Formats: sequence, structure tokens, C-alpha cells
Amino acid sequence: MPIQFDHVSYTYSTGTPYEYKALNDVCLDIEEGKITAVIGMTGSGKSTLVQHLNALLLPEKGVVRILDRTITAGEKPKNLKSLRGRVGLVFQFPEYQLFEETVLKDVAFGPKNFGIPEAEAIERAKKAMAMVGLETRHYEKSPLEMSGGQKRRAAIAGILAMDPEVLVLDEPTAGLDPYGTVSMMSLFSRLNREMKKTILIVTHDMEQVFTYCDNVVVVENGTIRASMSVQEFFKDSSYCKEMNILPPALIRMKEQLIEAGFEIGEDVMDIDRLAEAVARQVKKHG
Amino acid sequence: MGNITLGRYIPLDSPIHKMDPRAKILGMLLMLVAIFFPAGWTGYAILFAAASLTIILAKLSFTFIWKAMRPMLYMLVFLLIINSLFLKTGTPLFTVGPFTMYSDAIFQTLYIAVRLLLMVMITTCLTATTKPLDMTLGIEDLLKPFTKIHVPAHEIAMLISIALRFIPDLIDETQRIIKAQESRGVDLKEGKFMERIMAILSLIVPLFVSAFQRAEDLANAMEARGYAPGEKRTRYKLLKMEGRDYLLLICCAALLACMIWLSAQA
Amino acid sequence: MKAIEVKNLSFAYDETSTAIKDVSFSVEEGTYTTVIGHNGSGKSTVAKLIAGLLEKKSGEIRLGGLELNLENLTAIRSMIGIVFQNPDNQFIGSTVRDDIAFGLENHCVPQQDMDEIINLNAGRVNMTKYLDKEPSHLSGGQKQRVAIAGVLAMKPKILIFDEATAMLDPQGKDEIKRVIRDIHKESSLTILSITHDIDEVAHSDYVIALNKGTVAMTGTPHEVFADEKKLKEIQLDIPYSMKFSGALRRRGIRTENHLTMEGLVKELCRFNSTM
Repeated sequence: MPIQFDHVSYTYSTGTPYEYKALNDVCLDIEEGKITAVIGMTGSGKSTLVQHLNALLLPEKGVVRILDRTITAGEKPKNLKSLRGRVGLVFQFPEYQLFEETVLKDVAFGPKNFGIPEAEAIERAKKAMAMVGLETRHYEKSPLEMSGGQKRRAAIAGILAMDPEVLVLDEPTAGLDPYGTVSMMSLFSRLNREMKKTILIVTHDMEQVFTYCDNVVVVENGTIRASMSVQEFFKDSSYCKEMNILPPALIRMKEQLIEAGFEIGEDVMDIDRLAEAVARQVKKHG
Repeated sequence: MGNITLGRYIPLDSPIHKMDPRAKILGMLLMLVAIFFPAGWTGYAILFAAASLTIILAKLSFTFIWKAMRPMLYMLVFLLIINSLFLKTGTPLFTVGPFTMYSDAIFQTLYIAVRLLLMVMITTCLTATTKPLDMTLGIEDLLKPFTKIHVPAHEIAMLISIALRFIPDLIDETQRIIKAQESRGVDLKEGKFMERIMAILSLIVPLFVSAFQRAEDLANAMEARGYAPGEKRTRYKLLKMEGRDYLLLICCAALLACMIWLSAQA
Repeated sequence: MKAIEVKNLSFAYDETSTAIKDVSFSVEEGTYTTVIGHNGSGKSTVAKLIAGLLEKKSGEIRLGGLELNLENLTAIRSMIGIVFQNPDNQFIGSTVRDDIAFGLENHCVPQQDMDEIINLNAGRVNMTKYLDKEPSHLSGGQKQRVAIAGVLAMKPKILIFDEATAMLDPQGKDEIKRVIRDIHKESSLTILSITHDIDEVAHSDYVIALNKGTVAMTGTPHEVFADEKKLKEIQLDIPYSMKFSGALRRRGIRTENHLTMEGLVKELCRFNSTM
């Protein structure tokens, strides 16, 4: 069953001079078992949208359906905690949530909160740390001794150790260097492929959307501007232009080549096939 | 945060808002001293009239004052109970079983209530009409004569203005950390004692870590832009006393003199 | 004339590890130099050392010929403006106007001259409309523009950007990159920008690549990006146009190294028409 937003609205600080409508009548289906990118400008409502997924925010109007739960506006949902264990939400700059004396303890903190016995929580924490590439020598380190990138991994491991069915990440690669970004994104890709997790990633980086994601949702001024497959979205740069987004490098390269007179099929979507097409035409002329 | 009214700045366009913060701070101090003279009910009536006039001139509403006063009511009720138990002077009013209520208990409490109300009215006239930054500038200037006896006037003002600048950021940060930890199953509202302690730790530790990071960044930014505590520097925002500011001070001084005279008569 | 000269610079945060090891490089006056390197390579540490915010362990730093030491610190500081990564943590004033004034106050600029300087520099970063806004009402890109104006107002000779665009969204990144480029074009300022942004590196005059606290490569963007193998070794990326050239090379098409797609496409067109 997909994750569904059914006419969802949300307003911050209702009834004060700071009242601000962040979501306005949002209807959206998010496919299970896929990686979905949530994109849009700062302040468009992306973060508000994803915070509905684990009921940190409750809809003011409308219904959110996720896993086997239905959250209806105006009803006080029961047992929110169990939902939060099944939908793992990683905030922006999650390294700021580390607080235990050792990394291992911190990673085990989540599962323990959800009632997993200590010993098993530690086991899960070890597994999660291995998944994000933190070796055993980091177990007993204080989070304060780690580098920025390692802290980020530890914080993400803290959510993975909860073993959530749905993983939601708000700009997980912000501030990482290119290499760190690639290894982080490959991790999410692996979690999706091997463990069949549904993943949502809020991002500004179109290369990530293009390379790692299956579907894309564009949020604009609190409404859904577009929701489609990545392939459809990037088939040419028309959607990007319409929405004032810089298309991924491959698409830009392809469009420039087409403009210069090269013939390249619409289905060419990776660097090797693009180079192949160009090489063939250059050689033919020679 | 939305319902705290005491001490909050209300952006309005009024003659009081435009006044020099130094005049307002000094005026408030004079009035606060005036309140503490036992000038009797006549005196309090005069002060109340003066404070009310200022509130009207500042375009503030009396409901706003009432809201600021409300938290004090608990204190007053408590005081009334203490007074009725221990103050046994004046005329006995009524008796319930072994307990007799005397008039002085009521009067004493009322007396304090009136003073408290006046204090709230007067301080609100200052805080609601003065931007926090102007207030700091005013405090800095007023403390300047004391730098000779090593009161770090400028540093105090800088400290207050930076604190004011970063309070909204820290509130945002706190809310973000709360949400992040709630996503990890932290329950701030219920749970066993140990769980509650862990929940609070999971907020406090990250908040401290990030506040220290912020402080370091800020210190670097200030140093890089040539700030050195104790060094001479010029100031962009200058305060200027005008006719109405002197008028305010004269009025306040006159009121204080009046209270002193009244209390000497009594 | 050298704007920045660094000789055998070393630094350590604690006794057990060295953050910067025997780093030497120089930056010509008026050039736009980028410093690249993965996180933890020592880029920001070098910037802080040059700005005199950290004290070196050994080696020598000269700015405009003047040696950086305790006696010269004030003089050196007034030569350098530095813009940091986090837009919130370097906004000191309560409004845009006050924030730009902060540095002027420290430099004892007479009060009656301040408004003119503030207006001029707010104009240079396109923030004139926002002078009375508070930071909570500004976007990240706008806050960084204010930081740049605040630094420019102090008339520095050298501008350092310490990952000034890293925390911004694409719009903010573009805004800041454009402002930096414009400033470089219209002034004789020396610019040293620490960045991960390949596009920014491609547009700079000179590149310094750091790895594990040492200088791994230096040269023009052309020269540095040409050594793809070495870049990969120190975990750095290359422009897409060069990746594509590589893919073509594997298919027997040799092109020159182009830092931009436009250049590469132009060359490929020539191939097509002349043959």
C-alpha cells in the first residue's frame, strides 16, 4: 500500500500574527519500496510534508495514510510511538542529536526507546554502524571525538538501528564533501535494493535525484507541483526549466549536443551511452 | 512563548516609543523609587493616574497590563493567606471557628497588590515601548560614568544584545532537537523517572554542544571583523535627548518629590 | 607582488595529531584562487591560520609582504576579510544595517561616515532593499550577502571565503558565486575561496588542492583537473565535461581538456563539420 496524503493542509502558529500556511490541500501518493526525492525551494513546505510521515506534525485538515495507519485531522492518534519506530526520520544536520558518552550507546538509544531489550539493541546498533561504514574501533569513542562526516553516519545509524520500514531523510548530504555524498547516497540505494526499504529523500541536488531516485515529488508554495518517475521528469529539461531547477549535468550535456546538431535518442540516460552516440557520429564523419 | 506579555516589546507608533531609552530607563527608576515611599492612598492614586496616562500615550491596552499582572495573582493570594494567619491587628472582621480575620491583613495585602500593580504598569511602559537593542544602548550609556570604577559598560551591553540576537535561533534549535529526539522514540511528556532523565539529557547535551559551536563561530566572526573587548570603538547608533525626554524626567522627578513630601506628612 | 605567502606552515589542534604539515604556497595579488580538498584535509584550518584566528606551530605566513605575528595582528586583520560557512552564526547585528556597521565600529570609523559606507556596500551585494530587516526574515543566501557586505565595508585587500556556499540552497549558492565573481571583476581584491564547488573552481585563476594537511597539487584549473588519477586518489571530483571527454577517449575520440560543457561541445562540432 502506498503512502497517501489526502487533502492535507497544515498551518504554523494558527491564530497569531506569525500564522503561516505551509501545506495547502496536498494530495499525494508515494510508492512503497522505491526511493522518492522530495524537491522544491527553501520554504516550499518539503520539511513540513515529511514531518507528517511519522506524525511529528499532525494534519490540520485531511488524512495521512502510512503503513497500516490512518491519521485523520482532528482525531488524536493513539500509540504514536510505534509509528515513529516504523518510520525513521533523519533530520537535517542529524549530528546535533548525538548525546551519549559513546557512539555505540547513542546508536542503541533509539531501539531501546522502542522497547527493544538492551542486549538486542546493542546488537542492532553494531549492525547499523557496520552498515554506515563505522568500524568496531568507533564503538567506545565519544561522539565529540569524531569528524563531522563520521558523526553524520553515527546519527543515521541511530535511526537505522530502529529498523524502520520507511526511511525519511531531510537533506542527508548537506555539508558533506563530494566523496562523502556519494558513499552516503550509495548506502541509501543499497538499503532500498537489499532490504526493500521505502526511502524518501529531501534534497536540492539534482544529480542525486537523477542518479539514485526512482520518483520525484516537486513541492511549491505548500502544494504538489509535480509527482512522477525520475525518468519522465528528466526526459528533457522542459520540467526543470518550468520549475526553475538546474537539470543534472548529463541532461545539460545531452541538450547542448542535440542543439549542436548531434542526434541522440530520448532514452539515452547515462554517460556511456551518450558518449557512444557522439563517438559514432564523429567517426562516421571522419 | 506566545502568552508571555511581561517584558515584551510591542511595535507601535507612539510618542513614548520614540523617546530616548535613557530617559525612559531613568524615569522608570525614579518612579520605582517613588512607589516605595509610604505616601498613602492619595500618593498611590496620583501614581496610578500618571502610569495610566503613560499607558494611554503609549497606545498600549489595559488588557495587556492585566495579562502581565495575572501571574502575580497567585503570589498575592499566597500573601493574603500568610497575612490573615499572622497579622492580628486592626479591627476583627469575621470569625470562622478558631480563625479571626483582621482588617490589617486585608489592607496590608491590598497595599502590596497596589504597589505590585504600579510596578508592572511602570516597567511595562518601558519594556513594551523600547526595542531590546535600544534598551541595551541606553543601559550602556547610563553605565558609562561607572566605567571609571571598572564597570564594563560596553561589554555588558554587547553581552545583552548578542543574547537577544541569538534567543530566536536557540528556540528554533531546541524545537528541532526535540523533534529529532522524538523521532528516536523519546517521550518528553510521560515515562518512568529514569526515562524522563534520559529524555531531558537527550535535549540538553545536544543543545549545549550546538550552543558552544555557535559561540565559537561567533567569536571567530567577531574577532575577524576587528572586535577586541576593551578596545576603543565608535558607535553607529547614537542616542539623542530631546525636549520631551527632559520633560519626562522632570515629571518623574516631580512625582518622586511629591511622594517624599506626602510620606513626610503622614 | 604576492598577496599571500605561506612557507613550511604547520599546525596541530592537539599533541597527538598534526592538522597541517609543512604547507607552502603563494597567491598572486588580484587573483581568484580556490582551495579544494575533502572534509578534514585541512582547508578551513589553513584559512583560519591566514586570518590569524589560530596560532601556527611553525612556519611563516606573509600577507602583502607583512609577516603575521602578534605585533602585526591588528594590521593584518584589517587587510583580511573572511566570510564563514554558517550564515546564522556570523550575523552579529540585530538588523542588516547594524551588522554591516559592526566592523566599522571596531575600526573606529566616525559615526557620520557610516551610513554612506553601509549604503555603498549593501548596494554591492544587492541588499539595499533589506537594510532594516532582521536576520530571521532573510534567506541563507541573503545573510551571506550581508556577511560579504560587512567584510567589504572594512576595505580589505584579501577576501577569504571559508566554504561560504556550503550550507546554502542552489539559489543561494548561485547568488553568492555571482557576487564573488562580480566583486573580483570590479575590484583589485585578492580572493581565496575554500570550496567543494567544481563549477566555482573551474572559473578561478588558480587552484590549491590539499590532502591530509599537505599541499597535494597546485596550478591552474586546467593543470589540476588534467591529473584525473591524482584527483581520484585524494577523493576529489572533476568537471562533467572532463568526465565526458574521458568516456569519449575510451571510444577512440581524443579531445582537449575542457572545463566547461560549452567548450567541449564546440570542439566536437568542429570534428563534425570539418570531417
